[in-house]
Parts: sequence; structure tokens; C-alpha cells
Amino acid sequence: MRISEHPILGIPEQKEEVEFTYDGNVMKGLEGEPVAAALKAAGVTIHRYTSRHHSPRGIFCAIGRCTDCVMVVDGMPNVRTCVTPLAAGMDVRTQYGVSVKAEIVYEIEEKGR
Amino acid sequence: MIRYDLIVIGAGPAGLSAAIEAARSGLQVIVFDENAKPGGQLFKQIHKFFGSKEHKAKIRGFQIGSELLEEAAQAGVEVVLNASVIGLYLDKEITVRIENRLLHYKGDTVIVATGASETMVTFDGWTLPGVIGAGAAQTMMNLHSVQPGKRILMLGSGNVGLVVSFQLLQAGCEVAAIVDAAPRIGGYGVHAAKVARCGVPFFLSHTILRAEGDDWVTGVTIGQVDGNWNTIEGTEKHFDVDAICLAVGLSPMSQLLQMAGCEMEEHPKFGGIVPICDPYGETSIPGLFAAGDVSGIEEASSAMIEGRIAGAAAALRLGYFSENEFALRVAELERALSSLRQGMFAPENKGKKLSVTEEGCPVSEHLLGTGFLTEDEIFRYPGVKKIKGIHPVIECSQNIPCNPCQDACSRKCIKVGERITSLPVVDEEAVCSGCGMCVAACSGQCIFLVDEEFEEDYAAVVIPYEFLPLPRAGEKGIALDRSGKELCHAEVVAVKSLTAFDKTSLLTIKVSKEMSMRARFYKKGVRVG
Repeated sequence: MRISEHPILGIPEQKEEVEFTYDGNVMKGLEGEPVAAALKAAGVTIHRYTSRHHSPRGIFCAIGRCTDCVMVVDGMPNVRTCVTPLAAGMDVRTQYGVSVKAEIVYEIEEKGR
Repeated sequence: MIRYDLIVIGAGPAGLSAAIEAARSGLQVIVFDENAKPGGQLFKQIHKFFGSKEHKAKIRGFQIGSELLEEAAQAGVEVVLNASVIGLYLDKEITVRIENRLLHYKGDTVIVATGASETMVTFDGWTLPGVIGAGAAQTMMNLHSVQPGKRILMLGSGNVGLVVSFQLLQAGCEVAAIVDAAPRIGGYGVHAAKVARCGVPFFLSHTILRAEGDDWVTGVTIGQVDGNWNTIEGTEKHFDVDAICLAVGLSPMSQLLQMAGCEMEEHPKFGGIVPICDPYGETSIPGLFAAGDVSGIEEASSAMIEGRIAGAAAALRLGYFSENEFALRVAELERALSSLRQGMFAPENKGKKLSVTEEGCPVSEHLLGTGFLTEDEIFRYPGVKKIKGIHPVIECSQNIPCNPCQDACSRKCIKVGERITSLPVVDEEAVCSGCGMCVAACSGQCIFLVDEEFEEDYAAVVIPYEFLPLPRAGEKGIALDRSGKELCHAEVVAVKSLTAFDKTSLLTIKVSKEMSMRARFYKKGVRVG
């Protein structure tokens, strides 16, 4: 949940609301905030699944150090979502191992043709 | 290859301070930081800092961060962001990755101020989404205004665990419990008392047995540990939570110094592997310095002074300071640093069990075990006296480096003295005006004003309050005791929010007379019974 007013920090700096997609679904977030913050505010907790055990991972350090929150952003895998600013139209996808799911890769390639 | 007089690695409190000090002496300085914004972790620190005036006490961390950035700009320091230093080589050469390019710089002197990273513990389910570092919680709520969870369990009762727990409450989250495997609370008693009076329970000698949930955290089970850290059967306790915060320590990020070939040592009191430095932060490689947490875990206030000392030493090495100028400047800085390193939490006391304060007052075991002082214990301390009329009640029971209360009182009711770790003494002869400046100035929020003669059967208690919504005068609610337990009916008679209080509002609550030394927090609502 977003904090609308804080006793010490006051009202958060106004940022423009932008649309992006998460696994193909349209979502809203604030321009320039970390992709991970937009996802958290929208209730998304799973960022990726590990390659060997397929176990879920989400935000852990939130400062770009641990790489637990990496996702496929605009076709690029291993993007640290906690330090990547959100931009309008971004394509954010759950990462499986080191890529999007095989069938999604196919879909994206088809679209590219 | 580009040459600078001084290259600083890390734009946190230590790095920026080092750069400012050196640039003011005339050095050409460049600072590299891997983050998109400078200031390190300072901008996540929303509490008032400890220390004295020279350490920027009672100023909130993020405001200190803004001041440092302004000073750096004025001093002509060049700060390059999104720039990861990935190599530090012989002759103080560095490689920096900026976007997808690798650049090569050389410094006549180099100051490494890379800070620390969080230490982690593992338990069943620790990799589940929802298990996060305490720093991550701070980043999300204080920088990005997103709650890290609705109901959170905190592991670790050091200052980070305590401060972040309080910040979670300020962000509108619920803190289910603070858990620590150690038998005593590790951080400042005043930080613990702040969260205890909000009703957060402490579980000492407890550890997390498992985080529960299939895809993300839905609960956690803790259990008690014996003297050998083994779990005691039958002591399991379950909490429904959607996040677990780990605040179990920091380790110096000293890899670059190791890479450069500095002599290192494993030093448990400093938190891990640190470079062997001279008193000015110079490592075994001449002209290569370390400052801040990378050379030993402390806190931001001391990191800033260490940075200034290293900056001055770099200026001396390159001839921008004469021996004399350097000696004068460093003597002043070392005095400031040493005053922070006194008291019960001084580095040499780490891990020691102290049973009395410097004044000879017995330390409250109750505070260390539950997070709050008992009513019988508070009169042990020199800040608590029986005085007619309105007067400060200072529930400060440990020798910590802090004295803003003394400066705040224009009536000279409060005396800390020369040693800033001394317990504040309330002078029975001085007359309190009830202005509340001491209440707002206390970084530990442990000062209250009490007036037992407020009305015939009622006493007034002034409490510091940093939550929303702010209660209104005339509102009726419940007074809570030091443990957060409901105590009695309370009426808010005044709410003061002055600019000088810096976001700490002062709530005056009216409670029945016999509750004046027990009522320490307020919540809206109707008391049952």
C-alpha cells in the first residue's frame, strides 16, 4: 500500500501516473519510482522463479545489491527492478531462471517478425 | 586516464564529508557512487540523530543529508552517480563502470567510503518473497512511500531493528513483535521504549524457526533458544505476518581495499574484515584511506567525522595543509569523535554486560528484557524527581552520547554536563516553564512533562507524538503505560506542533492523578471497563 501522508515526511512528492505492463497486463505506477515499488504498491510480490528449484523470489535488499528482484524488462533479463526507474510503456515480465517462460519467448519473437 | 588529487569512492556520509573537507583545502576532488542519488543511507533516516550540536544532534538524518549535499556543491566537489567502482589497483588507479563503459582514473590520494552491507541469517523459508532486509523496509517506506507489508515481524533488537520498527509504525504498518536470539536488547533503551509503549512485544532469547507460505510470507513461527542457541521444544509461537524484516547486523564492504592489497584484519568488534588503518584512516598503502563503516561498523555521526579526518589527512599528504594546520583541525575532529565513542555503547563495551551506569545507578534488566522501565525503577535515575508543578521527567537510563535536552531548556532545568554520555539531571530548584522544547529535542523521545496539580483530581502528562492522524484537543481516548497496555481514560487537552519541534508534536493528556507516572502514550478509542 502507498503511504498517502507521513508524520515526518509529509505528502509524497507528486509524480506522474504512467501505464506499464506486468506479464502482459496493464498496470499503473508512478514515473521514475523503482519498478519494484510500483509492483509492490500494486500487490505483486513474486519477481522471478529460480532456475533449478523454481522457487519464488521478490524484493530483498531494495538497493540493487542482492539481485533477488531481477525481472525481464523490455526484453532484457536480469534487470534489478529495485533500482530501475519506471517509465511509461515498460514491459515487465516475471523471470524464470534467466529468461521469460519458453512459450513467452516464442510469442515475443513472433511479435517481432 | 584522468587524474585527480583525490578520488572518493562512495557518496554516503563518510565519503561526502571527506570530499568536502579536502575540497575546502584546495584539492581537486571527484566522488563516485553506484547509486542514482547521493547520500548513502542518510535519506532513509527520518529520526533525530544523537550526539551534541557539533554532531548535528536532534536533526533528522535526511536533513543532515541535504546539508551535506549543499556543502559539497559549495566546496566544488564533483559527484558522479550511477558509477560503480569495480577495481582499485596499485598506485591508486581505479576502473569505473558508467553505463556500459569502463573508465580509468588515477587519484594521488584515494578515500574508500563504501559503507556496509546487511548481514543475513537463514531459516526455513527465508528466501520467500516478504522476507526482506531492514534496509529494504526503510527504502520502500521512507524513500518510495510504499509500505513493505501490513503486519511485520522484526528480527534483531539492535538500533537498526528498533529504529526501523518505529518507522514501520510511523508508516502505518503493524509490528507484530521484535525478536532477538540474544537475551538482552542490543540497541538503545530509549529506542526500545518508544516501540514498547506503542504495544510492540519483545521476544528475547527467541529466533525464527520458519517463515511460512507457499509463494510469499503468510506467517512466521519463532521459538525460544537456550544458552547454546538450541531451540527449546514447546516454546513455538506463531504470528500471522506478511513480511519479516531482518536487522541482524552489518558487515564492512571492504572488498576494494582487499583488492588493492591493503593489510586487512578480521575484527569482530568492527563487524568483519577491515583494513588496518592509522588514526587518520590511512591504510597500509600510503595515500589510500578508509572512512566510515567500511573501516568498522558504527553510525553516520561518527562516519562523517572519520570522513573529515581522512579528507584532512589527504590534504596534508598532498601539501594542501601544513603540519600545524592539520594538527589543529584534526585535534578538533578527534575530540568530537571521541565524545561519541564514550558510554555504554562505546566500541570497547560491545558484547559486555554492564550492571551500573557511570553515575552508579543500577541498569534496568527489565528494560533490556522487555523494552521498558518499570514504575519502581524510574526514580533511580537523576532525570526523574518529585517536583511540584509542571516539570520534566527524563526516563533516560543509559549512558549514551546525547545532550540536546540540556541545550533545549532555557530555564536550565536540565544538566548533562561536559561528558555528553552522562545521564541528564533535573534540577529541582530551577523552574520549568512547560515550553516542551526538551520533549521535542530528545532524540530518544524519553522526556515527558508531568504536572500533578493540573486539576484537583487530574494530572497532565505531555508526551512526544510522531504519528498520524494527530489527535485533536478535546478528544477522549485511552492512556497507555510504558508497555503499551491500556491504563485509563485520557483526554487530550492540548496539541502543540511548532516549527521548532521539527515534526514531533506534543500531546498534553489529562489522566487521573495516580496515573501521572504511568501514562506514557495515548491512543484514540474507548476503554472497555
